[in-house]
Amino acid sequence: MRSNRVGWLLLAPTIAILGIFGIVPFLYVLYVALHQWNPFGANPYMVYNGANNFRRLVFDNEFLTSIAFTLKFAFFAVLSEVILGYFLAQLFMREFPGRGLFRTIHTLPLIVAPIVVGSVWRLMMTPSIGIIPYLLKSWFGYDLNIGRDATMAFALTVIMDIWHWTPLVTLTLLAALVSLPKEPFEQAQIDGANRWQIFWHVTLPMIRPAILATVFIRLMDALRTVDEVWMLTGGGPGAATRYLGLHIWKIVFPKTDYGYGSATSVIVLYLTLVMCWLLYVALVARRGQKRAS
Amino acid sequence: MRANRPILSILLWTLLSLVTLFPIYWLFVISVKPAVELFTTPSVLLETVYWKNYVKVLGDDTLRRYMFNSIIISTGNAVLVTVLAFMACYALSRFDLPGKENIFFWTITNRMAPAAVFLLPFFLLFTQVFVIGEWKLYDTRTGMILLYCTFNLPFAIWTLRPTIDAIPKELDEAATVDGATTWQVIREVIFPLARPGLAVTLILTWVFAWNEFLLAATLTSFNARTITTGLSEYVTTTGTEWGTMASIAIITLIPALLIFSVVQRHIVAGLTFGAVKE
Amino acid sequence: MKHELGMSLAALAVGLMTSVMPAKADFWSDAGAKYKGVTLHGVTESTPPSNYIKDVLAPAFEKATGIKVEIETTSWDQMYDKAIKDMEAKTGIYDMVYIEQDIIYAYLARDFLVDITKSLKDDPSLKAPDYDETHFTTFANYFKNADGDLFGIPMEAFIKLYLYRTDLFNDPAIKEAFKKETGKDLVPAKTHEEYTQIAEFFTKWGKDHSLELWGTTAQASTGHPASWYEFFESVAPTFGVYNWGIDASKNYSASVANGGTMNSDKAKAALKYWLHLRDIAPPESPASTWTEVATTFAAGRAAQGLVYGENAAWIAADAEKSKVVGNVGVALPPLEPGVMEDAEAGKGYIGYYDGGAFGLPITSKNKEASLLFLQYIGQDSVQGDWAVAAPRITNTATYDDPKVIEMDKKLNGYYTMLKNDGKLFAGAPPYPFHAQVREATAPIFYKILLGEVSPDDGLDQMAAAAEAELTNLGYRK
Repeated sequence: MRSNRVGWLLLAPTIAILGIFGIVPFLYVLYVALHQWNPFGANPYMVYNGANNFRRLVFDNEFLTSIAFTLKFAFFAVLSEVILGYFLAQLFMREFPGRGLFRTIHTLPLIVAPIVVGSVWRLMMTPSIGIIPYLLKSWFGYDLNIGRDATMAFALTVIMDIWHWTPLVTLTLLAALVSLPKEPFEQAQIDGANRWQIFWHVTLPMIRPAILATVFIRLMDALRTVDEVWMLTGGGPGAATRYLGLHIWKIVFPKTDYGYGSATSVIVLYLTLVMCWLLYVALVARRGQKRAS
Repeated sequence: MRANRPILSILLWTLLSLVTLFPIYWLFVISVKPAVELFTTPSVLLETVYWKNYVKVLGDDTLRRYMFNSIIISTGNAVLVTVLAFMACYALSRFDLPGKENIFFWTITNRMAPAAVFLLPFFLLFTQVFVIGEWKLYDTRTGMILLYCTFNLPFAIWTLRPTIDAIPKELDEAATVDGATTWQVIREVIFPLARPGLAVTLILTWVFAWNEFLLAATLTSFNARTITTGLSEYVTTTGTEWGTMASIAIITLIPALLIFSVVQRHIVAGLTFGAVKE
Repeated sequence: MKHELGMSLAALAVGLMTSVMPAKADFWSDAGAKYKGVTLHGVTESTPPSNYIKDVLAPAFEKATGIKVEIETTSWDQMYDKAIKDMEAKTGIYDMVYIEQDIIYAYLARDFLVDITKSLKDDPSLKAPDYDETHFTTFANYFKNADGDLFGIPMEAFIKLYLYRTDLFNDPAIKEAFKKETGKDLVPAKTHEEYTQIAEFFTKWGKDHSLELWGTTAQASTGHPASWYEFFESVAPTFGVYNWGIDASKNYSASVANGGTMNSDKAKAALKYWLHLRDIAPPESPASTWTEVATTFAAGRAAQGLVYGENAAWIAADAEKSKVVGNVGVALPPLEPGVMEDAEAGKGYIGYYDGGAFGLPITSKNKEASLLFLQYIGQDSVQGDWAVAAPRITNTATYDDPKVIEMDKKLNGYYTMLKNDGKLFAGAPPYPFHAQVREATAPIFYKILLGEVSPDDGLDQMAAAAEAELTNLGYRK
């Protein structure tokens, strides 16, 4: 057996970098979260106030609303992206002329910076003079106004997210599909399994880790999205698209409420962690069960 | 793989591509319209083309410097992250390290943090901890390359791990029995089989680094400023210079596309490996 | 526009340096000699006046003194965040920071800035002959402390104006129709009632004639603080509600019960007036920030509106961005009776006077060299070209510059108005906090805009929220 020393050596740089730029800042944020600190408060210095910030959070309606909206946003966006992304990845597994071109086209949204994506969508959606509301109005007589219609504004942030990030899911799942061994599929076909059965019993179990990784990444990115939504709706109308990332940004940047902002971040981080951990355990545990049976 | 009707695929993809391309087409439309026309009754097709935004942008030295910084930082970070993640995933996959699943899960937690509050500790680290004499990590490309590891390394580890786990252990065990060193196993057995995963990791980490805004905006100022932060200079209280911003965005697509087309080939290269494994 | 102008003006300014300056050149090169090799770092928002500093004044200064100046231009949020982090952590990255009028009190409260007046008095060898702080317009008063010492060199200043379309207001057919409908002559409104009447008339006119035309603009975004600002800085004062309705002298009270005016009857009337205007404004208004309001007006979609002065100039004069060039009239905002008297007596104001200055952080490591640069951008001789490149005036010497007089004609008297009536306008209230209260109350304001809360209840809630935040910040005891 190889010695674990080599293994640790291979892991060492990762642990070192994430330790310095991950753990140290986190401890600092945790420290700040236990203080009242607003550089433009009557007392501009850090004052220890124990768990007060956290206590305040529990009753903070804005925060709770933001959580609800964010979860809704993340749910719709990530679910659509994973289903659509898987479907597209499967399509890319087929041979057809022009596949390379289409794959390139399909990855284009990824390389547009979020702030630009938000800007373009905002210009496309400006009530009455953006191209989309204009076309909807002249074709269907439908009046799309993201300044007034909270549901539509919400839907648009989801659609924008799907447009921007589905390619990421497609690429990661494509990589997973490409590296699958062929034998199980051939075996299943010999056994006379239909497409659905193959997907459910063969493909899915094998690419589950990849799906899990993709869901994780998309989920946590959706939970902290800022730039795109900020440009498209600014968090409005009202608080309809004031997602957690933006909510925290508003506490920390304009309000300079570092103490409360840190506490909010710690809680958001914790909630994200728990959510991902539950998913991880659920999916990994299921895999374990299957193996046992 | 079964034979499919290519016409159907092409048709479907053409439709999908239209949806994908429309906002990008619109970005282009914005970039070639004078500001006065952006807020009038729109039309889907372009009637006249106005190139002044491009003339202005291409003649701007500062933007060229930003672009250069972006390329260095994204590429540097993507390569570093992919290499480190490859090493880490190999270790996690093939060694029986105590607590390794916890380490694996811990890595991803680094991506969960909402960035806004972490700017302050990062700022302090960059300006007061990593300081050697006059030199600071603040506003350096190295600093950004290292910092971007916080969100890219977890991503890379999590996308690569399934790929490496899926490579049968028997292959490297066989190679070890034949007397190959760990390094040789990694290079000759794992690396070729992990190529599609590595390519995807490289591309996507590159994309994340390329698009990152908040950290770069806070931790760079003159020397290491990236093009994404440069874009935000056109969003001001006097109004947003949509045209300029859009033309820069269109130009930035070019290097990104070049890198994509080079690396993407390796994803497909993987398609043939399934057969080789027999 | 600004970049092109910047480039051509760069050449011009360099020319200026060599032709006009010889008598004073001695001072700059002598004073700069001591600091040769120093590089100054500044951070500012990328607005036209700042870009002029970066593209024209900084290079000219380097030529004159040998001191290099690097100006980082960025977005508004970033600019503040970076400056504050730097000063808070005492890093000393920046030698100059942009200070918007509304944050100066917060910076002064924290002692973030160097006293420019005192520093120049203490070391007369640094004082430039062509710089005189008494030449600044009254806007400079915002950057002074109680002793009258200056803490920032004003570099841009604008008033939020009432713009109207002269082509429409002078159209005989429209004038006749207006007279027929209202029995009045169509002239720019002096009161809110008149303004509403004109707005209603034009919105109807646009509808009846199938024109893309509405009677007023409204900066009424339901998710961006621009709407909050329009109400508290531009509309409420014209109804006699000043300083956001918060009274600093009464323990920072906002609610009427405690002595504030945020939910007073006047404020409620103002809000209803403005909400009605929003309803007859172009359909993009609920998504409009200052960006969209300016472009809406420039696209010819509104007959009148309140527009920030920094946009007034390009709307009136830049054909590449505006369709209404040559057709823009400027006037003072419509008012309730008594407000003008308040303003003239110095007890109130009729609208928003905004702008910013360049200040010197106390944490800077190159204070002397920075003082030289700040005087350089504050001196009389650079003002004229600067005002032409980026319409702003902070120094009284600018008004007499022939180039500025020429431009004033194109802008239909904007500069004259700034000169004569600038004192009637006021910047943000002198509070050591700013965005904190805005952000605490804005969510309720958005709800009012969306109709989820009535204007009356909403303002009551906002007053309560403002007081709660002020208590939390420790200002309200």
